[in-house]
Amino acid sequence: MKSRQRHAGAGSRPEPMDRRTFFSRVGDGLQGAALATLLGTDLLGPDSLLAAGSRQVYDLKKQDPHFEPRATSVIQLFMNGGPSQVDLLDPKPALEKFAGQPPSRDLASEIRAVREAGGLMPSPFKFAKHGESGIEVSEVMPQLAEQVDDITVIRSMFTPHIAHESSLFTMHSGRMFPGRPSLGAWVVYGLGTENRNLPAYVVLDDPKGLPINDIQNWQAGFLPAVYQGTRVRSEGSPLLNLHPREEWPNPVVKLSRSLLRHLDRDHLSRHPAEPELEARIAGYELAARMQLAASDALDVSGESEATKEMYGLNDEQTASYGKRCLMARRLVERGVRMVQIYIEGQIWDNHSALVKNLGYACRKTDKPAAALLKDLKLRGLLDQTLVVWGGEFGRLPIAQQPDSGEVGRDHGPSGFSVWLAGGGIKAGTVYGATDDIGYKAAENPVSVHDFHATILHLLGMNHRQLIFEREGRSERLTDEFPARIVQDIIA
Amino acid sequence: MGGGRFFPVWIGILMFSLPVQGAQSPGFETDVLPIFRQHCLQCHSDQARQGGLSLESLEKVLAGGDSGAVVVAHRPLESRLLVLINSGGMPMGGEPLEAGAIDVVRRWIEAGMPGETPEAPVPAAAPPVREREVMAAVLGAKCLPCHGRRRQEAGLDLRTREGLLKGGKSGPAIVPGKPAESLLVRRIQAQEMPPPRLQEQFSVRGLTSVEFEKVQAWIARGALPDPEEPPQANLGQAPPTGSKAREFWSFQTPRRPVEPGVKERDRIRNPVDAFLLARLEQEGLEFSPPADRLTLMRRAYLDLVGFPPSPEEIRSFLADSDPRAYERMVDRLLESPHYGERWARYWLDAVGYADSEGGVSSDEVRPHAFRYRDYVIRSLNADKPYDRFLTEQLAGDELFDYKAAETYSPDQMDLLVATGFLRMGPDSTYSTEQNNLPERLDVVATQIEILSSSTMGLTLACARCHDHKFDPLSQRDYYSLSAILRTAYDPYDWLSPSMGCIGVGANCNDSNTRLLPLPSDSELREVEEHNAPFKRKIAELERQLEQKAQPLRKQILEEKLAALPESLRQDLKEASQAELDERTPVQKYLLGKFAETLQVTQGEILQKFKDFAETYKEIEEQIKDEKKKLKDKPKIRALYDMGGRPTPTRILGRGEYTNPGDQVLPGVPAVLNGELTPYRVEKPDWSTETTGRRLALAKWLTQPNHPLTSRVMVNRVWQHHFGVGLVSTPGNFGSTGARPSHPRLLDWLAREFVDGGWSFKALHRLVMTSTAYRQQSRARRHALERDPDNLLLSRFPLRRMDADALRDSILRVAGRLDPTRYGPADELEIKPDGEVIAKESPKGYRRSIYVRQRRSQPLSLLESFDAPLLVPNCLKRPHSTVSSQALQLENSQLVRLSARHMAGRVIDAVGEDPSRQIERVYLLALSRPPTAEESAKAEEVLGSLTREWKRHLEVEVPAEPVASKAEWLALASLCHTFLNSAEFLYVN
Repeated sequence: MKSRQRHAGAGSRPEPMDRRTFFSRVGDGLQGAALATLLGTDLLGPDSLLAAGSRQVYDLKKQDPHFEPRATSVIQLFMNGGPSQVDLLDPKPALEKFAGQPPSRDLASEIRAVREAGGLMPSPFKFAKHGESGIEVSEVMPQLAEQVDDITVIRSMFTPHIAHESSLFTMHSGRMFPGRPSLGAWVVYGLGTENRNLPAYVVLDDPKGLPINDIQNWQAGFLPAVYQGTRVRSEGSPLLNLHPREEWPNPVVKLSRSLLRHLDRDHLSRHPAEPELEARIAGYELAARMQLAASDALDVSGESEATKEMYGLNDEQTASYGKRCLMARRLVERGVRMVQIYIEGQIWDNHSALVKNLGYACRKTDKPAAALLKDLKLRGLLDQTLVVWGGEFGRLPIAQQPDSGEVGRDHGPSGFSVWLAGGGIKAGTVYGATDDIGYKAAENPVSVHDFHATILHLLGMNHRQLIFEREGRSERLTDEFPARIVQDIIA
Repeated sequence: MGGGRFFPVWIGILMFSLPVQGAQSPGFETDVLPIFRQHCLQCHSDQARQGGLSLESLEKVLAGGDSGAVVVAHRPLESRLLVLINSGGMPMGGEPLEAGAIDVVRRWIEAGMPGETPEAPVPAAAPPVREREVMAAVLGAKCLPCHGRRRQEAGLDLRTREGLLKGGKSGPAIVPGKPAESLLVRRIQAQEMPPPRLQEQFSVRGLTSVEFEKVQAWIARGALPDPEEPPQANLGQAPPTGSKAREFWSFQTPRRPVEPGVKERDRIRNPVDAFLLARLEQEGLEFSPPADRLTLMRRAYLDLVGFPPSPEEIRSFLADSDPRAYERMVDRLLESPHYGERWARYWLDAVGYADSEGGVSSDEVRPHAFRYRDYVIRSLNADKPYDRFLTEQLAGDELFDYKAAETYSPDQMDLLVATGFLRMGPDSTYSTEQNNLPERLDVVATQIEILSSSTMGLTLACARCHDHKFDPLSQRDYYSLSAILRTAYDPYDWLSPSMGCIGVGANCNDSNTRLLPLPSDSELREVEEHNAPFKRKIAELERQLEQKAQPLRKQILEEKLAALPESLRQDLKEASQAELDERTPVQKYLLGKFAETLQVTQGEILQKFKDFAETYKEIEEQIKDEKKKLKDKPKIRALYDMGGRPTPTRILGRGEYTNPGDQVLPGVPAVLNGELTPYRVEKPDWSTETTGRRLALAKWLTQPNHPLTSRVMVNRVWQHHFGVGLVSTPGNFGSTGARPSHPRLLDWLAREFVDGGWSFKALHRLVMTSTAYRQQSRARRHALERDPDNLLLSRFPLRRMDADALRDSILRVAGRLDPTRYGPADELEIKPDGEVIAKESPKGYRRSIYVRQRRSQPLSLLESFDAPLLVPNCLKRPHSTVSSQALQLENSQLVRLSARHMAGRVIDAVGEDPSRQIERVYLLALSRPPTAEESAKAEEVLGSLTREWKRHLEVEVPAEPVASKAEWLALASLCHTFLNSAEFLYVN
């Protein structure tokens, strides 16, 4: 059966599923099957398509991509706060030469905390070449250094704003303000899910607190709510209200559910032509199944001791992040399309005490992230899983609070590094470059729109054709912005 | 699809790439123009000139468009034209160019843009820098906080070229023709201006090298003024897409159509029915049979007040044998104070109301916003005519001389509160990081979006960066409207929304905040009396702290001075100790120069003296505690003219401040000028300085024959009654919006609304007493076939309660709805598992409209049932069915506890008898008694539930008697199931 087109070609509209089609499915003896297709279904009220006398049904059913994909799922290790490129992945020996010199007029015009700004500052960390590729990695990421032959480092990313909020929104949705769907929402809108008993787009946030912009980082914006990221907690009840605070005795639960089914079926029989009521009943059934599926997917206790050790579960420093990395692997194994892992507060936001604080951030994440790569590779999952590491911007190559004894670096959006691996990404390469001092993307700059277009491309989708029609406007992740596929990082 | 698509590309490359071998560059006439003709001239011809750009001749290509040059000789990567076609950004909305064609353009640029043949290359001289590129785009963006309207540091005013020439205390700021001798250039060169230590505070940044070069180049060429025509009123040149655009249906004056004839006359209760039924009969359909009385009752209650009727109300309605009992009930509901609470929600959605700033920020709370919410509720309850309602919100401050008034009457106070309408959008400019010029322009755009979509159904915000692609709305229209707001939202002279006035560039006082003080009245006195003792305590603590800090500060200062050259030391010391008004000019200069050195920050003291740091922390903690006890001074979050001459408004190319174009006057979209009295500003002759620009807008907008104002509003009222508007895109009445399903009905309603005095309540009455509204919701087979989506209203639509109605209804049937009205929003509480709920009061919880509406922290229950994000506003709530809703209703503590409360109230009302309990549950939750069969089934389940709970409790051994607790819990489980049932959730 031809799948419903969600990816309209230029000019054409998505093929709507009208009410009659819906009933022909419900009515032709396929009641059970129809219910199954409704799991997680989101029925939108009539929108502008209504003029055509039809109603669009939005759900998480698996969709065909536009072309053969290189990756079928994404794990995004979101390093919110702004990791410092010149101290991690973008060595700048020239900074030694210019140490202490005042910045150029253009750099100066971009400084956020002007009063705290000092001169150019070389990295306190040593870089060395690693692996066969010889990619240079800082000494604070020793575990990543061992996996460096599996990744591509982009050293020429840039975002348009110096504030966390604006750049976080940009990295997630392409625009500096809230209200637009995040990358993950577009991905599951375009591709649906492989496992209907789990949320398609999972967000594993840090038990120590939400990132800046809170839940708005994974919002669906104007896309239907079914495409929003689902926040899954790594401690306690994984989903909000997955279980009640106080459980009822089992027989009571059973009696209540059976009465509810009875009432709702009765109600449905009085309103036989309402697909939404069917969807609601199915929603309750899914909720019940999710209780089991989610608990299973997120339970890492059955993993081998070696695996736990690899992810750092036995070490207090790495245990929290390691657990979420391991959960991410278990989720993509089960067909979850998009997983994002966030990190506590602002551990990469090293305005002060760079040596101490950047060291802390790396100790917490380096081992688990490297373990995730290793593990995915070992299980043959890396081929189809795209792993993306990076924050909302980088940091300036000048010192912040140089006289405080706890020197740090301020936000630097004009040039920073991210890395990608698996899912069609070239292994062991570096793409793009910043200028001499690591301030600005100078060679092959990669905009956020390029970045998004490339990720969609790896998932088999054309960013110009992944369209959502809204009040007469064709909305896209890359909107009307110039965006190119970064072909040079694709294997 | 792959092969077929790529084939032509190959041909293209072959065709175009072969000649390259001969090293011949493409020429404009021969090679480039044909490509432009095929792909670009539709919008960029001499005639269309979208974005001020024509590509019809070489000369015009080189001249560029509103946003400046589009090609740079020999530099393809810097040529905007190439960048855009390369990325597919252009042709806008069209098929991208083939690779071969792009290559031709690229090589043409590389070759320096030759004309017909390479023999005659045209040198592309950089166009001279214009005055506006310096004055508006550079100095306007970086200097005005200190050298603008509010403040002229050193006597220097940088708002105009004249100001530059006149200069300040140190003489003229520029010497035309001699950049190197210009003080302005020298100070910028030395990176002294804008002063680094003030940049953060005033949200400005230093000049980039490109900006600095522009300043110098302009001065070098003589700092010439731009030759500029005086701005013209926006009376409508023909819209770019041709005069046909004016004929679009929604721009025509609505006229009262003749009521159509129908076959089934006896089903016509009012003209609404006639229009609907005539259409139905065309399709061989008719109205559905009437809904039964209780269905209708529940429908009317949820529609007008937002929760179901009580069992007592049901009983008395059933007992009312008056044939007009239904009409009288509708009247009662319209008079209920809860009506305003229900319908205010829709208006607040439309204007983007929130109790927090939202946007890109920490989402700071707006403690005074609630007055606007209360104003809306009161106005709706009073059935304030819509034209008046709108006028107050657009220009309440221009309706009376408020600065001259010593006290305000409640009505006058409402006029100022009402202007909060234009302050509702997300606005994060209180954060100094988000208060730069681009962000301020975004805030203005947000307000224009809210204003134009909610009142006129126009997507005018699309015309911020370019003329509207589909509707006859130009950039000029957008900026004319933005000129109306300019007197309150001047991006070059900004009022920060912050309480602390951060970054407004002036001393913080009542003249530069968005909050207007309440004139002395009892509310104010009450707060002051409450605060007085705490304030005394705080002052005392601060005094203690200062007493301890003073000697330490002095000590550090001495040390700092000691580090300075001997020659300066004494002078500086004297200067810093001199009284403020007795300082000599030299002393003032010294202090300014060494401000950084002489400043001893709290941080320095704390770092140096650890003992003091301890005390400091202790006392600060106490101060913080005391401050928490303070009540906010009552203030009005208003919008008002700032007075003085606002900065001229210019069209901005691509919507960016770096591309200032022509000046515009305040005005309205030209396409609407047809039969309307034109927009005309009359400045009131008052002591309150105000331009009258917004009052003129209100007058223009509320003309009885305005083609959009009435249509847009009746459409939304219709939408809230029937789920879908007559125009299903309530915020887009343009060409990409939906066409009306019943155009004549829409016009009839619009006329009726206006002629009846713009009364909302009359409109509700009209709609709700129609046959159409009283139909049953069950779809009949033939109606399903011919009207599958109920576009023709062959039945009443079955609808799920919206988020607010659902929460309020759950609380209401559980007896936990605190009826307290108005006042500051209830605070939120975030549970450890992330659930966001409202803080509970002794009486339960207040209605959702009174709960703090924070854009970043929606109530969990509302969020999963599609409460909108309000970014920036919402005219039609989305409607989804997702499993998180099931989880919420089944497992959330709010619903579980409400079920227990509900069971308790049921037992209180009817005692132990299970059948009476079940009847009561049905009446409460479903607004109807159960059938005998339903009653029997429920009773049986209740019996089993009681047994199971008893069994469970016997193991747990609670303090309460097992039997009665089991009965209560069993009934609670039953209530919980009913609160989860579709029949509760849906309105028939």
